[in-house]
Amino acid sequence: MKFLCVPCDSPMKIQSVGPPERGSLSIVYSCPECGYEMAMLTNAYETQVVQSLGVRIGPEGDQKASGSGCPFTAMIPGADEARPVTAGEPIPVRWTAAAEARLANIPEFVRPMARTGIERFAREKGAVEVDEKILDAARDFFGM
Amino acid sequence: MKRYHDIVGDGGSRILEQVAEQRTRIADGLAAVRHLVAVGSGKGGVGKSTLTLHLAGALCARGLRIAILDADFNGPSQARMAGVQGALLVPGSHKVSLPRTRNGIAVFSMGSVIPESEALEFESTARGESHTWRATREFALLGEILESFEWGALDLLMFDLPPGAERTVQYADFLGPRTSFLLVTIPSEVARGVVARSVAALSKEPNRLLGYVENMSGYYCRDCNTVKPLFVSPDDSGLEIPCLGTVPFDPELARHCDMGIPLAQLPATPVGRALDHVALQLLDALDREPD
Repeated sequence: MKFLCVPCDSPMKIQSVGPPERGSLSIVYSCPECGYEMAMLTNAYETQVVQSLGVRIGPEGDQKASGSGCPFTAMIPGADEARPVTAGEPIPVRWTAAAEARLANIPEFVRPMARTGIERFAREKGAVEVDEKILDAARDFFGM
Repeated sequence: MKRYHDIVGDGGSRILEQVAEQRTRIADGLAAVRHLVAVGSGKGGVGKSTLTLHLAGALCARGLRIAILDADFNGPSQARMAGVQGALLVPGSHKVSLPRTRNGIAVFSMGSVIPESEALEFESTARGESHTWRATREFALLGEILESFEWGALDLLMFDLPPGAERTVQYADFLGPRTSFLLVTIPSEVARGVVARSVAALSKEPNRLLGYVENMSGYYCRDCNTVKPLFVSPDDSGLEIPCLGTVPFDPELARHCDMGIPLAQLPATPVGRALDHVALQLLDALDREPD
């Protein structure tokens, strides 16, 4: 989808993408010639169809900044933050930055399952931190 | 006034470019794979997954490097059959390592990460309207898996497809013309009819249609070491593609599948010989020049 500023006959550029609200995105476009701004407000179905493509929405700089495969994660405050531990859950295992970076190679959809499995493996090995050595040990253990 | 095609780009999101870039990353990741083979049918319950696994086993026993991608995300069975249920997905420095069977076949199956007691679910902003977006999301996930995993140098990457003649064609479109198709039927007129629809649909695609395998062509009785009839149907399948072989049903093989014990070597039974024959025919068809 493209937007054209009719008076200037100039393609409009994405300025910002607002956080999703009840399935709707607010995508602001502006004309680089006259500065006129307009917003495209999607309904939940339109949002979902684009989300299903697995692409990111927003200005190019924002796309590169996001580490998640989810097109909308960057727009949801706290979406990437760890949730608090509740009673009865296993003690959290820390991840080093390098191990966390490797985890990002796993498709976002299956990443939570992979994270849980690796943390379980680490605990079984008596580790309280997942680092690259633990990841390599898991690879060796499972004959990969 | 400018028209759509007068304007380069989409104003910032580069959606088409993102899709094209992913296709390039997928192609790069599969560059060292000699053959891409999709095992489909159109019909469900004909033994696509069982044949995929055991053909992979027969080829592996001949020294070929094989991987299986269980593309049936909603009904994954390779994880259980290949014995990789609960296997970890471990990220490497660039890509994710694949779980392997005892006999060395690399396997990705959604069944490794989602327990059988749970269904595959995606978060959605459009609740109750999954028919409008679900297939798109599943293919996007397939793309993510293809680009994220370490397929490396392989002789064959086999895709175990879900049922549905229209789905088979969607996979041909998504996987591209490099992927050849092997169809599976059973000797029932109902199954053959559905597979015939898949043949008709795939014939319009640029992909090679290698042939079909007739599974459950009989029942292998271990007590009397003979193959007995299982279906009463004409010998001629009516399918206008080559038959790469027939494979009788063997309860022992099915038992191994349920237990997740891949056969290191195919047994010296009519079923084992049949699977080995199909594997050789498959290699022969792949090495033949396309018409």
